[in-house]
Amino acid sequence: MSTKEPKIISFLCNWCSYGAADLAGVSRMEYPSNIRVIRIPCTGRMSVKFVLAALRQGADAVWVSG
Amino acid sequence: MNIEIITLAEVQDIKGEAGNFSVDVLKHPRYIDEDKCIACGVCAEKCPKKIIDTYNAGLSKRKSAYVEYPQAVPLKYVIDPETCIYLQKGKCGACKKKCPVDAVNFDQKPENKTINVGSVILAPGFETFSPEAFENYQYAKHPNVITSLEFERILSASGPTQGHVSRPSDHKDPKKIAWFQCVGSRDMNRCDNAYCSSVCCMYAIKEAVIAKEHVGDELDCAIFFMDMRTHGKEFERFYDSAKTKSGVRFIRSRVHTITPVTGSDDLELRFVTEDGDLKTEIFDMVVLSVGMQTPKALVDLSKKLDIDLTPGNFADTQTFSPVATSRPGIFVSGAFQGPKDIPQAVVDSSAASAAAAELLADVRNTCTKEKKIVPEVSVLGDRPKIGVIICQCGTNIAGVVDVPKVVEYASTLPYVELATDKLFACSQDAQDNMVELIKEKGLNRIVMAACTPKTHEPLFQDTLTAAGLNKYLFEMTNIRNQNSWVHKNNPEMATEKAKDLVRMAVSKVAMQEPLAEVELPVNQTAMVVGGGISGMAAAKSFAEQGYETHLVEKGSRLGGQAVNLYMTAKGEYIQEKLAEMIASVESDDRIHVHLDTQLSNVDGFVGNFESTFSSNGNETKLEHGVAVLATGATPYHPTEYGYGTDDRIITSLDLDKKLMDDDPSLKTLNGAAFIQCVGSREPERMYCSRICCTHSIENSIQLKEKNPDMNVYILYRDIRAYGEKELLYKKARQLGVIFIRYSIDNKPVVNTDSGKLTVNVLDHILNMPLELEVDMVSLATAIIPNKDEKLSNFFKVATNTDGFFIEKHAKLGPSEFSTDGVYLCGLAHYPKPIDESIAQAKAAVARAVTLLARKTIFSSGTVAQVDPVLCAACGVCMSICPYSAPKFTEEGRFAGKAEINPALCKGCGLCVASCRSGAIHLKGFDTDQILTQIFEMDEAV
Repeated sequence: MSTKEPKIISFLCNWCSYGAADLAGVSRMEYPSNIRVIRIPCTGRMSVKFVLAALRQGADAVWVSG
Repeated sequence: MNIEIITLAEVQDIKGEAGNFSVDVLKHPRYIDEDKCIACGVCAEKCPKKIIDTYNAGLSKRKSAYVEYPQAVPLKYVIDPETCIYLQKGKCGACKKKCPVDAVNFDQKPENKTINVGSVILAPGFETFSPEAFENYQYAKHPNVITSLEFERILSASGPTQGHVSRPSDHKDPKKIAWFQCVGSRDMNRCDNAYCSSVCCMYAIKEAVIAKEHVGDELDCAIFFMDMRTHGKEFERFYDSAKTKSGVRFIRSRVHTITPVTGSDDLELRFVTEDGDLKTEIFDMVVLSVGMQTPKALVDLSKKLDIDLTPGNFADTQTFSPVATSRPGIFVSGAFQGPKDIPQAVVDSSAASAAAAELLADVRNTCTKEKKIVPEVSVLGDRPKIGVIICQCGTNIAGVVDVPKVVEYASTLPYVELATDKLFACSQDAQDNMVELIKEKGLNRIVMAACTPKTHEPLFQDTLTAAGLNKYLFEMTNIRNQNSWVHKNNPEMATEKAKDLVRMAVSKVAMQEPLAEVELPVNQTAMVVGGGISGMAAAKSFAEQGYETHLVEKGSRLGGQAVNLYMTAKGEYIQEKLAEMIASVESDDRIHVHLDTQLSNVDGFVGNFESTFSSNGNETKLEHGVAVLATGATPYHPTEYGYGTDDRIITSLDLDKKLMDDDPSLKTLNGAAFIQCVGSREPERMYCSRICCTHSIENSIQLKEKNPDMNVYILYRDIRAYGEKELLYKKARQLGVIFIRYSIDNKPVVNTDSGKLTVNVLDHILNMPLELEVDMVSLATAIIPNKDEKLSNFFKVATNTDGFFIEKHAKLGPSEFSTDGVYLCGLAHYPKPIDESIAQAKAAVARAVTLLARKTIFSSGTVAQVDPVLCAACGVCMSICPYSAPKFTEEGRFAGKAEINPALCKGCGLCVASCRSGAIHLKGFDTDQILTQIFEMDEAV
């Protein structure tokens, strides 16, 4: 097993998943810190360009949620 | 700004009369100052007292200092005086010592307030039935017998098991779960709730399907029921798919007793199947589908307030005024009006607000507060001068994130003029200081690293506005909810993450431009399409609220389908009420009725429509701000059961006609049979027509009352007499109406060959074929929407596979379309009885008036914009936009290229992502702004 921590970039819809991530905080849930969230107005805004850019930037995983 | 929320308050009394009430309110102490509390949760963390969490149905623990659930509004903590150690024994006070903003105040006392209002809306809700008294169900004794509400919490991601389905006794993953329907509903033996709670069938199916999704297909879910009542929109299809696709078992049986299996935590059920066999089956857990009831305290309050209640203890209302209580000026919505689901409760609440507004139309806007406007300084073309503010949020952020380090780091970033921290950035003094800093340092962009933009962005944007800065020159990054709170055991990484987030925000805001919000006038005229009960109710409500209204009807008379109907479920004569309604519409100066008129064109958009009316070859135009579509439905013309071949075989509406005419032949009938679901709940029409069970039951009672010796049969698949309509069902049975269930695979057969009229059906109890000799067969035919594709295209509104209009949101937006400024009601939305149609008509008007009352609307600044030079005019944006915002430019240099109407654009970015020429920009979330955040993802350290 590799001990490498993956770098995750996530694109969260403002109306649902971003709010859910806020509630995870209100509920004091814990999760690893190697995730960076970019708030988008709707997953409709999501473009393949962003996924490719994130991977090129060295992200190990891209998570789109909405 | 214009809604004052008074929490922890109890209404003691309402004095006065419609237009001038004084309401006595007892406000219980929160023991936490709402203005000071920042919902950081330190009080709950430090509170030593653990008690049962009632929100999670007792399945977990909480503290005495708590917030009931994470989405609570207002998000402020509260101290439970019953269990707080300090308030009970005078010792402790840990929360007070640790609260970073000194919000805890044990000296708060109950307060009496008197509020002066013109109208009142009651929305006090319901309680679920407690099954503790049902000893045979073991609820009080056995941990694995739970209520549906408890199971709801188990399924919830924010619940005690975070959505993991496990049974309470040993946390084992269940393999078999049973649901029992009608626990505390449709039951006069073991409780006093004779009515049907309306929602339990559907929620039980939903719980079973979700449980299978969470656990996996191997989970066996069985629902024990009497009648399956899935009469809501799209519910029948859900029921069918639960059976056929999800594999949920539906067992028509009322289980008598649950017996715990000795030596294990399992439960044994004994029940009789439809074939009469006694069966035994063992389950891991049992969910009791508990019904809704009005709490005792509310019954008492209603008596005090002089509000009449129904036999089931719901607020008594009339069919033609469905949200008005017996006391003028006091309206009702939600489950206190009758047991109902969310969409119906949302409809009611809008309807009640319309009814309240009708009463107060003359004084509209006399008590409203408005925002002060500060002139905006232009920063266009200026070099970015960014101010970064890092909020400590007391210890909420600063206790985990090394704030000084982040401040220091932020000051090194490009274009950053100033980086500073604040103990509480949202406090008034910090806000005032922000205004000063912006002016003093000439800042033209602000980054706020604090809590969540979902709650605080508008507040900080107001501060920018107050400083004369365009509110879009702002970016908020979330270092509390999504950082310090969730990484509290990893402060180093949280600090690094905060740096990254600040850098990403700085790079984004540097690219931000000031954005304009386009102001558009709203034409104050309303148009209603359809002159049936719904359309008339809508027109009347607009007029009562002072708006000129045009009512367009393609036929030559008002009244729609209601002219064919005899009596409501509450026993009101429909023709009398309808005549009153038509007269009041026709005599209202503000309502312009256009008969024999159809729409031949619609141009424009929200607030500014122009419709063309076509009447006998003449065309006229109307400019209007909003439109309500109430285009109704028609009865299905049956081809089955020999309809049309014999005068004795008629439809429900034909029978209504005979009842209206007081046809003497009805008294002489020896037998009559009603056949239900004619054309409904069939593969080609997979929906329940909702009203036919009640309609046939009502008519069967009429026949029995005319001639008690008449043999009256109702042949049905499931009796769907929801809510207090169940009482009619009971009355019909008491009068001797015989109910015989048939299955869709074995439908009744109507025979006239011998000259006699007979109906052959398999009796479900005896399992024997029966031949019923009757003189009349009444067919309960389906309700079919008037599909008008032209109208759908005019307003860009869609219909579902059954031809009913698709509303904006099935639960939360039932009376409006996704297209702004267009609303719907009545049968065009879904089959429904008159009271629900009128409620929805009022609801549609209430939603429309939120627009009309503003007189002008502002578009959002964060909208899409087309660069016409790059646009290839392919039209993808137009086909993909759910709000019909893009269209081709008609004239000028860029004729033929797409342009986006900022008033319609919701800023979702769907067009931007789909534009193959890269011609569309989403202001505030432009491609380079998102890319720069990706590029700046992790360079800190």
